[in-house]
Amino acid sequence: MNFDINTIVYILEILVGGLLVGIGVHFVPVGGAPAAMAQATGIGTGTVQLAAGSGLTGLLAAGFMMSVTDNLWLILASGAVGAGIMMGSTMLTGSWIYAYAVGAPFASAKVNYDPITGFSQPPYVAPGTVGQGIPTICFVSGLIGGMMGGLGGAMIYYPLYLINGNAALSAMFAIGIFLVNAVIASWNIQGTIEGFHDPKFKKWPFAFRACAIASILLALAAVLITGGA
Amino acid sequence: MSVGGAVGALSALDPKKLRMYGLVGSVVGIYLGALLNSALNTTVFSFIGALAAIFAVLMGANAVRRVCAYGIGTGVPSIGMLALGMGIIAVMFGLSVAEALGFGLLGPIITLVYAGVFGYIIGVIANKVIKFNIPIMEEGNSDLSMAGAMALLGWSFAISGTLGYADILKDVLMTGYIAIIFIAGGLAILHPFNANLGPDEKQDRTLVNSVMVSGIAMIATGIAAILTQGLAAGLLQLVIGFALWFYFFKMYYKLVKRDAAAVVGTGLLPPTVQ
Repeated sequence: MNFDINTIVYILEILVGGLLVGIGVHFVPVGGAPAAMAQATGIGTGTVQLAAGSGLTGLLAAGFMMSVTDNLWLILASGAVGAGIMMGSTMLTGSWIYAYAVGAPFASAKVNYDPITGFSQPPYVAPGTVGQGIPTICFVSGLIGGMMGGLGGAMIYYPLYLINGNAALSAMFAIGIFLVNAVIASWNIQGTIEGFHDPKFKKWPFAFRACAIASILLALAAVLITGGA
Repeated sequence: MSVGGAVGALSALDPKKLRMYGLVGSVVGIYLGALLNSALNTTVFSFIGALAAIFAVLMGANAVRRVCAYGIGTGVPSIGMLALGMGIIAVMFGLSVAEALGFGLLGPIITLVYAGVFGYIIGVIANKVIKFNIPIMEEGNSDLSMAGAMALLGWSFAISGTLGYADILKDVLMTGYIAIIFIAGGLAILHPFNANLGPDEKQDRTLVNSVMVSGIAMIATGIAAILTQGLAAGLLQLVIGFALWFYFFKMYYKLVKRDAAAVVGTGLLPPTVQ
């Protein structure tokens, strides 16, 4: 492995990718088990599953784009859009179930008025719950989070592929970096979050610092691996 | 009462002892398998890699139950995925660096050292930056990272039959079997505590469950090994994996009956429970 200016660029790219993943997790409306029972706002599963889902879709989309072109911006855009579509369709189909099967009105318990639509929220929050379904603000926030995750995934995958030239190895290594950052970020939000309007969102600097340290260490390991050709 | 005897031995293992068994068992197992395979010029001893992974899995499952007993707020699967994420990076790093240095056989040791150090740092970050303040976080994350790495390495060896970086890349990564052992490893490390958690969680029941899931993982690596190493090596793994799963499933069921307030039939299945 020759250490030159490119190596530093690769390390920086992996660092930025890891940070995007870590911050993106904070945007995704994660409801966990309470949301699965329609007793909390958000998607009814854990942070890591959602982050991993959007990140891996982004990785796939970026990898596919990479097989046709080596333009960094196109690859990043493809990753972001792929992950955004994944997160959007998850929230959309989840909403159908909340709306038509569970029959819950979508309401956020963290804000009095939806910042985007301006609709009043408290009258629709069922007693004993912290909101239900995926209100507009959460949906928008989730889309942003998914796109950031996909962008991060693509940003990690791209330099890895340039370093070792092995798609399978780069993908697995990117998944590893992705999971570490996603889990650290999810620990920071302690389970559930509604999106960027949630008071918990203000904790993101902690995740930023933690993900920065972890990503640098991972990036240093990443530039040392070879494709084994 | 062979089952009872084994349960008695498993019931009161302290984490230090279990960590020692896990590390020594997995490293010695992987090296033993690699040496036997290369010395006798065969692949039938690949199954030892899958057995070695069980030691690592036991260590990891115990670390999960120790850390998650404090309540991390994000569900047990997150920490299992973290273990595997750190593990896969350590494996790739260790094998690649060992190959680049010219000492291919040092791979597992470099993997282990990197995994331990990196896991410890993640634990420090969790406590100092995220402010978890879980006293065993550093230790637990270090254990988890090493367990994830050694389990993945053991199963990778079971599929490829050698410890060579290029062979593992070709047989495990390029074929996509890595995805199977990734999830199987996740199941073996995170699922036992996730399935058994609660105020009546008992160490022996959780660990027996993890050995049982490792048996299923061994069946999976057996199927993969049939395609990469041939019928003899693969079938041996498959049969041993099935035997392990069957034996520990029976043991697990016995422990569930021991700890449950009552076990009643649902009326749908044949009334085999009393």
